[in-house]
Amino acid sequence: MKIAVIQFPGTNCEHETLVAARAADLSGEIFRWNRPAEELCAFDGYIIPGGFSYQDRLRAGAIASKEPVMDALREEAERGKPIIGICNGFQILVESGLLPGLGGVDVALASNVMVSKGEIARRGFYCAWTTLRSETPARRCSGSFLLDKGDLVSMPLAHAEGNLVTADEDLMERLNEEDQVVFRYCDEGGRVETEFPVNVNGSLENIAGICNPEGNVLGLMPHPERSSFAWQLPPTDSAKSAGDMTAPGPGRRIFESMRRYIEVMR
Amino acid sequence: MQIIGLEDHEVEAGLRRAGLGLSVPEARSIAEALGRDPTVPELFNYDTMWSEHCSYKSSRATLNEFLHTEGPNVVQGPEEDAGIVAIDDEWCVVIAHESHNHPSQILPNEGAATGIGGIVRDVNCMGAKVVATADPLRFGDPYGEDKNHVRWVAEGVVDGIWQYGNALGVPIIAGDVVFDDSFDSNCLVNVVAVGVVKRGEIIKSRAPAGAGEKGYDVIVVGKPTDSSGFGGVTFASEELREEDEEANRGAIQIPDPFLKNVLFKANEALFQLTREEGIVIGFKDLGGGGFTCASSEMGASAGYGMDLDLDLLHKASEDLPPEVVACAETQERFMLVCPPELTPRALKIYNEDWDLPNVYEGARASVVGKVTTDGRYITRYRGIVTCDISIEHLTRGIRYEREESPRVIDLKEPDIAAPEDLTEVLLKVLASPNVSSREHIYRYYDTEVQGNAVIRPGEADAGLIAPVRGEKFGIALSVDANPFYGRISPYWAGATAVAEAMRNVAAVGAYPATLTDCLNFGNPEKPEAFWEFRECVRGLADAAKALWLKGYDDTPVPIVSGNVSFYNESPDGSVDPSPIIACVGLIDDVRDAVTMELKNAGDSVYLIGPRFDELGGSEYYRTVHGVTGKNVPIVRFELERSMIYAVIDSIAEKLVVAAHDISNGGLGATAAEMTLAGRADLGLELDLDASGPDLSADRLIFSESSGFLLECRKGAEEELEELLKGYGLDIMKIGKVVSSPELVMTYRGRTVLSTDLTTAKKAWTAGLSEAMR
Repeated sequence: MKIAVIQFPGTNCEHETLVAARAADLSGEIFRWNRPAEELCAFDGYIIPGGFSYQDRLRAGAIASKEPVMDALREEAERGKPIIGICNGFQILVESGLLPGLGGVDVALASNVMVSKGEIARRGFYCAWTTLRSETPARRCSGSFLLDKGDLVSMPLAHAEGNLVTADEDLMERLNEEDQVVFRYCDEGGRVETEFPVNVNGSLENIAGICNPEGNVLGLMPHPERSSFAWQLPPTDSAKSAGDMTAPGPGRRIFESMRRYIEVMR
Repeated sequence: MQIIGLEDHEVEAGLRRAGLGLSVPEARSIAEALGRDPTVPELFNYDTMWSEHCSYKSSRATLNEFLHTEGPNVVQGPEEDAGIVAIDDEWCVVIAHESHNHPSQILPNEGAATGIGGIVRDVNCMGAKVVATADPLRFGDPYGEDKNHVRWVAEGVVDGIWQYGNALGVPIIAGDVVFDDSFDSNCLVNVVAVGVVKRGEIIKSRAPAGAGEKGYDVIVVGKPTDSSGFGGVTFASEELREEDEEANRGAIQIPDPFLKNVLFKANEALFQLTREEGIVIGFKDLGGGGFTCASSEMGASAGYGMDLDLDLLHKASEDLPPEVVACAETQERFMLVCPPELTPRALKIYNEDWDLPNVYEGARASVVGKVTTDGRYITRYRGIVTCDISIEHLTRGIRYEREESPRVIDLKEPDIAAPEDLTEVLLKVLASPNVSSREHIYRYYDTEVQGNAVIRPGEADAGLIAPVRGEKFGIALSVDANPFYGRISPYWAGATAVAEAMRNVAAVGAYPATLTDCLNFGNPEKPEAFWEFRECVRGLADAAKALWLKGYDDTPVPIVSGNVSFYNESPDGSVDPSPIIACVGLIDDVRDAVTMELKNAGDSVYLIGPRFDELGGSEYYRTVHGVTGKNVPIVRFELERSMIYAVIDSIAEKLVVAAHDISNGGLGATAAEMTLAGRADLGLELDLDASGPDLSADRLIFSESSGFLLECRKGAEEELEELLKGYGLDIMKIGKVVSSPELVMTYRGRTVLSTDLTTAKKAWTAGLSEAMR
């Protein structure tokens, strides 16, 4: 199973993302944006990693979403291949309409607004560990294929624009009904508190990740590749020093899910 | 420009009219060496290369006199853009440390961002992958007369750092921040970058052997040259005056992390190609002094000359005068010297594979000239030879013997009664912007990018990364200097900065492998400022010599890189002497490292390092009593060495589960931070009777004498005590971890301090965010 980690100018998480995917027994390579797009069809799945593609010019993800490589990815998505967008990758998938995949650009990842006790406590870039609650049944989505509803996964986030908003009043209902909300920010006990610091960026209904109706395309703001090894965990997590340097961290479940999805679907 | 035959005042007028910083005697010596009047572009080249920033003309002799730059682990000392020490037989750590003070005071965002941009180039151009940065910052008083401006500077600097560092994709894993009115009109923005490289893959920033004989190509890569940063090194080598602010803005460079990110990847592709084919190249960043500095140093350091055509250099506009093209400090550029047979492939990597011209307007790689054997530094522009001088004469620079004279200040210890309520005092100290949690700042920093973070800011005294996948070793990084000690004693400020930086890496379990120094002082032409500089250097060198490299007797921890920043002064006065030290620590297995937060109720807590009556410059004196005092903490070299080694060994032997060094805010702040870092659900009970000498409770708690608090693994008490005794250290078992969230200290049968952690946390977390609001 071979995946492509897509590299745009300004991407900055491609190496650790590939390392994390390999640790989950996926093989793959980094795919530079200006390589011939038709080479993409040789891969079984795709990850768009984090970074600042094209310097976030216009809006985060806006320029990259218009690259020919994204047209090729759209075709592969229609064939049912998995695509996971992480952080800036999520922003690119939203800008390209692949997420939530309802035909247009239906949501946006706006600037973070941290609200505490009804007041704005902070704005802008924020880097911290967070806990995600899996909101869909196992096998619903490529990147959470192995996670049951209610499972908790901790990983870091680092972004200035992860605040999911929409102008469509009915959209949230639809996303919830169709099981397209894959991850929500919660506390360590799994409670979804609507204020900062649990809702770390002001996102609607604490949304951290969504998938398309088919479930093969997933976008999430936090970084599973930075939580793929136990030693990457915060010191307050007792699993940090367990095992050797290859011992898994919770984020590896995302990549293992992707691998399992590919195995099952092809 | 005419010099020969003119009177001094006429030469002076001519130099100033042209915007040159050269003195009249300097200009005359140039004309004499050339045997003719120099051209304007020639004078600008000299102005750049003979600036304090590029030539260290005031500082070189002092640095050579005191600093130890060699050692058994040194792969490369300070002779190039960055220093290199060995991690093991295969891997090396590369480190560079610089200041970007003046630009950050004038344009905080751009100034600070460019600081990062410059230092990461210094590390990358050695062939290394840049894996971490650290940012020591000094701002003015956020509650003083200039508070609005101070806060504008502080906010802009932090924004500039995160906007650049995060986008570039290099984690910021360490730093410190100090606020004091001596920095009101001259902030300090230092920046450290660390990289990793295999020993056999280090690239030199000089023309390779044979480059002149074979006519190697000189290639400039990156952003199109514009006028930005023209005069930058001269501006950095003068005092800041408000009336010059408008003019100085033009000397500030414009950063672009996006282009840098793409360039780093293209550089890596080039490095890989040269490694595969065994081609030796020279590679150097274009930083201070721009094209002139990079090209002349690359040639001169290999004994070659350069013949360069400025018309071939890609530029943002075609109407730039030759001296601007040569000396502007346009960011995001590198210089490559390579054999002609590599040139087409190198150009393809930048111009086609990484598509620079389409990624960034006007960016590309261009061949601009050849390396020669004649020792001349020649530039041509529009068909005219604009510069033809001896490359050796240009790059050798000049030396000044500055006068020194001790700064006489009236210092005394205050006559104060110990406050009744030390709980209130501790809360006040914890809320000081200089002690409080740094979280407000470090949450802006992407500390996780690259996925290498093991210990992050706020978790321990040093950041720790595992920078190479498949390897277990870790690199710890910390930065330190206390300006208040500097005010009292520059010598001890230098020594304590070294000791504290080493304690910080030791506190996670890493051994100090190398140091860098960024020396921030006032105008060296003033004897007091120059005395402060020399005292600091002497102090830090003495400490580095006495705190031996672990595993070697009588062997200093080497100082492999550094920077001198003079002229940190405005008409209001100079900054407090600030020898900012960075320490790289190494640990064999990152999983053995420890953090500062308390781990288990019932564990015993040991104090390492007796408390002395050393509150001069302390947070307690300043924040609570409003005085500076006199008894500055000193470094007792043998004791310090024993403490550092003992802590490293006790962590390596897994006897210790949490460690934190004692510095700013004393034992009180150290204990509080151990309870407050992490979940803040475990408390600490300390009995200060066990802490040694006969001092009043306030002095015991707030003295900033060096030391550590260690939480011992349950059952390992005896082993730990044996280990400490083996190093000749006093056993001071002063308390235990408790399950109730409170911090309690007793002394002579009386509870002298008691606070619940919710209250303490509130004070500790509010201090910095309020100061920066």
